[in-house]
Amino acid sequence: MTTTNREEPGCIEAGILENALVMITVMEKSGKILVWNQAAENITGYSKEEVIGKTTIWKKLYPKKEYRDTVTQQIATILTGKKYFENFETIITTRSGASRIILWNTKESTHKSGPIIVTAGQDITRLRELDAFRDSVIENANVLITVMESGGTIAVWNKAAEEITGYSRAEVIGSRDIWKNLYPDPEYRRTLTRQITGIISTKSYFANFETRIRTKTGESRVISWNTRQIGEDSQQFAIAIGRDITEQKKAEEALLAYMTEMAMRIKQPVGIIRDNLLDITHLIHDRKLSLDEIAMLLDAQVRNAAQIATNVQEFQKAILEKNSEIPEAYRKFLEG
Amino acid sequence: MPLIVNPDELARKRIFLILATPGNIRQRNIDLIKEVSDLGYHTVVITTNFPYSILTKLYGEQGVNLSKVSFIDAVTRNSIGSAKEIPGIVRFINNPANLTDLGIAVTEILKERSEEKVCILFDSISTLLIYLSSPNISKFIHFVTNKLRLMDISGIFLATEKGLDPMLMNQLTTFVDTVIDTG
Repeated sequence: MTTTNREEPGCIEAGILENALVMITVMEKSGKILVWNQAAENITGYSKEEVIGKTTIWKKLYPKKEYRDTVTQQIATILTGKKYFENFETIITTRSGASRIILWNTKESTHKSGPIIVTAGQDITRLRELDAFRDSVIENANVLITVMESGGTIAVWNKAAEEITGYSRAEVIGSRDIWKNLYPDPEYRRTLTRQITGIISTKSYFANFETRIRTKTGESRVISWNTRQIGEDSQQFAIAIGRDITEQKKAEEALLAYMTEMAMRIKQPVGIIRDNLLDITHLIHDRKLSLDEIAMLLDAQVRNAAQIATNVQEFQKAILEKNSEIPEAYRKFLEG
Repeated sequence: MPLIVNPDELARKRIFLILATPGNIRQRNIDLIKEVSDLGYHTVVITTNFPYSILTKLYGEQGVNLSKVSFIDAVTRNSIGSAKEIPGIVRFINNPANLTDLGIAVTEILKERSEEKVCILFDSISTLLIYLSSPNISKFIHFVTNKLRLMDISGIFLATEKGLDPMLMNQLTTFVDTVIDTG
């Protein structure tokens, strides 16, 4: 009966290697596989029996010659400068035909049989998918998204940020000059900085903070900002999400202007007619007016009232034209 | 009774915006005409509310010297269709919204009286709101105030207090020299 001494160093290493969550292979310089652990079997779908003692696995993992040649060429280039490579990313094809992204790290070592290469391959497919998903969300969001390193240097500048501001990623990422471009007026910039500093000093974020930016084409846009601090203590980032509310602001201002104008052009004129009628009543009472004059004065008030009715109709039309969301029943009422 | 407008400012051809409550505005009109007439000015009343014929009656009763007053009437023709102009006393405009005709009438009457001490009294901006949008009123008042300054003539614009929105009020304030709220 054979017993295995678990205290033996070689056994411990073998156990670690076998049970590691990353694929670990040991190979000769020729590419012949000496070790192929459980994770390597799980990730690639190829068993130890199919792999160990052979060099054919690489053709299986990289079945497309063109891609295989590229990988080989990249490895050769790395190895001209040093005897190992770090965080080298390739896409392998598994036995089932699926693609997995592997992050490779290697180390050259010497065994009694000669030089060997120990390779650790981490399956980062899920990580990359999450990255791609996150990038896609950021990229396709219809709000301006930017991530700033401490000091204000821009690390992320999405497509909406490019469209809203007119400044491309290439102009913005790695720099913090964008804020000077967006807020060219030094006084306004100082005021904003003061306000932001005030908000940040009491809480580490701000919500619905409105600023007026100047785009690359010189246009003025109103942005509503929301921010959050992200990252660890050693590396802090701030993510800022800016919603372009220029049109909403214009609509609000237009609505306010309409309402004010309407109030002014109804309340005031109705008051004028009331006061005129009151005056006319007094004048009639004091017998200061002839019948013709009474008729003329009353006729003027009728015309005034008719004009007010026309004005209200025009306002209703204007509201209908400006707002397509009005329910049909209200639309008909306003049209009437 | 204290004067509404300062005679020195009037002599310096200043332009005034006089605010009054709706109940007081008609009396302010009469008080101003008496005041300005007593200072030796000929007043050109631009009326958009009460017709010339009624105003002359009211002025006469209150002791206004009617030989010192002439009118641009934007009410009568709008009500009764036609009215014959009386040279030197009254000109008629078909409709208060017809700013072109109103502008022409102001220009012509000021030319006719270019040798006299003249003051324009516009009664009132508030009534114009029935016929015109505030941007159009603002443009028209700007035109008239410019004309007055070019011709070195003083002017008084009447309006009811609290009846004008902040933007229009703001604009009117920039066109005139002095705003007086008479209550």
